[in-house]
Amino acid sequence: MKLGITAAAGLLLAAALRVAAAPPDALAIARRSDEALKGKTQHARVSMTVRTPDWERTLDMESWYANPDRMFIRITAPAKEAGTATLRIGQNMWNYLPQVERVIKIPPSLMLQPWMGSDFSNDDLVKESSLVTDYTHAIEGEETMGGDRCYRLVATPKPDAPVVWGKLVLWIRVSDDLPRKEEYYGENGDLRKVLTFDDIGPAGHRPYPMRWTMRSIAKPGHETVLVFHAIEFDRPIPDRIFTQQNLKRVF
Amino acid sequence: MSLVTIQHLTKIYSNHVSVRAIDDVSLALERGAFAALAGPSGSGKTTLLNLVGGLDRPDRGTIVIGDAEITAMPAGALADFRLAHVGFIFQAFNLFPVLTVLENLEFVPALQGRPAADRRRRARELLAAVDLAEVGDKRPNELSGGQQQRVAVVRAILTEPEVVLADEPTANLDTANGARLLDLMERLNRERGVTFLFSTHDPQVMARARRLIRLRDGRVEGDEQRTPAGEPARP
Amino acid sequence: MLFLTMAWRNVWRNRRRSALTVSVIALSLTFNILMRGIGDGFHEQMVDNSVRANIGHLQVHRKGYHDDPGLNRTLPDPARVARAIRALPALRGYSLRVLGDGLASTDENSAGIAIVGIDPAQERTVTTISHAVTEGTYLGDDAPRPVLIGERLAATLKARLGDKIVLLVQAADGSMGAQLFHVSGIFRSGAPDLDRGVAYIRRQDAQDLFALGDRVTEAVVLLDASAAVPAAQAALRAALPVEGAGACEVLSWNQVEPFLEQFIVLDDAFFYIIVAILFIVISIGILNTILMSVFERVREFGVMMALGTRPRQVVRLVVLEAAVLAAVGIAVGGTLGSLLTIYFAENGIDLSSFAAGAASIGITTTMVYSRLTVANVVLSNLAVFLLVVLVALYPAVHAARLRPVDAIRHV
Repeated sequence: MKLGITAAAGLLLAAALRVAAAPPDALAIARRSDEALKGKTQHARVSMTVRTPDWERTLDMESWYANPDRMFIRITAPAKEAGTATLRIGQNMWNYLPQVERVIKIPPSLMLQPWMGSDFSNDDLVKESSLVTDYTHAIEGEETMGGDRCYRLVATPKPDAPVVWGKLVLWIRVSDDLPRKEEYYGENGDLRKVLTFDDIGPAGHRPYPMRWTMRSIAKPGHETVLVFHAIEFDRPIPDRIFTQQNLKRVF
Repeated sequence: MSLVTIQHLTKIYSNHVSVRAIDDVSLALERGAFAALAGPSGSGKTTLLNLVGGLDRPDRGTIVIGDAEITAMPAGALADFRLAHVGFIFQAFNLFPVLTVLENLEFVPALQGRPAADRRRRARELLAAVDLAEVGDKRPNELSGGQQQRVAVVRAILTEPEVVLADEPTANLDTANGARLLDLMERLNRERGVTFLFSTHDPQVMARARRLIRLRDGRVEGDEQRTPAGEPARP
Repeated sequence: MLFLTMAWRNVWRNRRRSALTVSVIALSLTFNILMRGIGDGFHEQMVDNSVRANIGHLQVHRKGYHDDPGLNRTLPDPARVARAIRALPALRGYSLRVLGDGLASTDENSAGIAIVGIDPAQERTVTTISHAVTEGTYLGDDAPRPVLIGERLAATLKARLGDKIVLLVQAADGSMGAQLFHVSGIFRSGAPDLDRGVAYIRRQDAQDLFALGDRVTEAVVLLDASAAVPAAQAALRAALPVEGAGACEVLSWNQVEPFLEQFIVLDDAFFYIIVAILFIVISIGILNTILMSVFERVREFGVMMALGTRPRQVVRLVVLEAAVLAAVGIAVGGTLGSLLTIYFAENGIDLSSFAAGAASIGITTTMVYSRLTVANVVLSNLAVFLLVVLVALYPAVHAARLRPVDAIRHV
């Protein structure tokens, strides 16, 4: 999942690259798009609303990310879950449960389970960088999406890549490489999930999609909406944030 | 009126070369006959007997027994016809070894669907009539050859067929037993009016037949009516 | 009757050959009945193990739960369901359960598991899990929030009696529920799925953990015998709403666990393939015997036909002889097979050498007890009889097609 992340290789550099690349280079676009969402570091306040036919609930959270593979998320509201925290370092993932004051390591067998009951899986958090390294990319034309001219980029897993998807289709804005939409296809070719990026607004010096919506196709009526209330890019984040001690910290 | 009427009967065996086993034979056999087909080996007498009994099919010609033309019958009907109207006596291996003498005698009436009690009673009667009452519960292999052939004769006449066909019935018997068998058949012919047709090259049989039909190379060479004593029949 | 006499005596003309044929028929039948009996016993044991270990004979859920289980589909009106169940004539016991997925964790490790909330006394009337406790007690101690786990899960979590484990779930309202439990007992059922992936807790604790209030997800019913399943299923369907809001589904063990029945079907198919091969082999032997006996008696068949026996009657005689062989073989083999099957039904067969494979398909004991059914005996006998008669048809037709004129002269 591209949860509250960013970093950018810099708008100027991006612009320069775009001018130079007259025929679109799919790998380069994928890399730039990935970087446009993540940045070097990122610190955000996010709310996550999970909707199902039976219930709807919203979690508030604070998140820290450091390129390439460290992430820390802490739930701040509601009271029942407040203090619940997730730490990811590389392929490892831990949850802290304040109700029982325990840290739980998430085993690989549960990577496809929903994260905090949302339509994002644990795997979506951990396999963050795989769009660039685990897939081969092809630009299959340009389409208009939400009023923006977008590349239609098809990402196919490399033969040995540890990827659960059969294929990804991304719509990436030509002007600044921000993704507008991602479609996740299963190994049998069925569309499984759709992630859309909306409300692109200024975040610091850069445009950023402030509203992400993950819709489950398999489970109609299930969707998860992330709304970024505040986001800050490329400020150094101390290493102590990404530690198990920090998981248990009472805040 | 004749019982068996044979017209232009021809039977050809073709193995390597075609042999006319029966060559355009026409004959009539009267009811109550005691007739012998005689001739050397290969003259066609057994073939003719088989054709008359419906065991073999002619290539040309017709055989009528009573008022049925057996040459036109399908196999199943022919089996039924034999069962109802023809009795057989063979040279040897006549009786079913697993059945007792009485059971052997009951075989044909059983096929005809006669009640068990009837056929058993009749078998005992006839067995007694040929002086074999005491062997009824024995198996054929416990009997002498002569006894076996007499049982075979009884089996052939038990259901009162129109004609009894006997293929060399005395061939495996010594003279005394052959004579006894002929005595029996003559008696049945005389007392019960059973029609007999033999194939034979036994002089004893030829001597006692009242009609002697000589075959050679599939043709009728001679056909003489004689008196029972061996004298030529009255014209 | 005369034909039967002939057939019977013909059979014993060559005693040695016929005795051999009868032995082959008898032994194949013995094998057939015994193997079928072992299969029947084995399958029933498997079903019984499964039924008694976990799934019961019948399960009642909210309609649609089985296809897509979830805490949003709790059992409508459990009191009414319980009343309907108690009215069943063949009832042995029932249990209202809360079933949900979760994560079990210790400081050492975590594992995804199924969490089953039970009333220990009620569950005891349905499943054998209470007998499978090897350490500690069956949710019986006074500690708050006891949990009973399988020994393989205990090994995975490196949890011992008295240790704390965290159960983390997504509750019915979407919130994350987490609770600390104390390992009060460890069980070994022999069924890998249970030993590796199930934690039993008290029903009330499960309802708290899953934020279910007083709702449950399923009612599990145990009957006197699996034969009572269809009637009980129909009775519950009649007593409970099956359409509209609050509709229930009433599923039998084989609907809950179709794998079990599929395995049995597959196992049966395998058995029938072996039987088919066996039958082909013995057919060749029997065909040979009957053909020989026909060839030896060509002259006899010639005489029979000359005397007016119809071809159909010749067929009947030869088939009758085969039937006599079959009947004797069946009398011997049927008795022997039945006795052996009864013996192994009493004493069992130790299949411990196959136990490794057996455990993976839910077999919890290495002793298999065969089971003699009327269907087995009747069908096996019938199959062997028909086979022999069918095989005899070829020599019979061969005999019937002999031309009497050639047959009589046959040496």
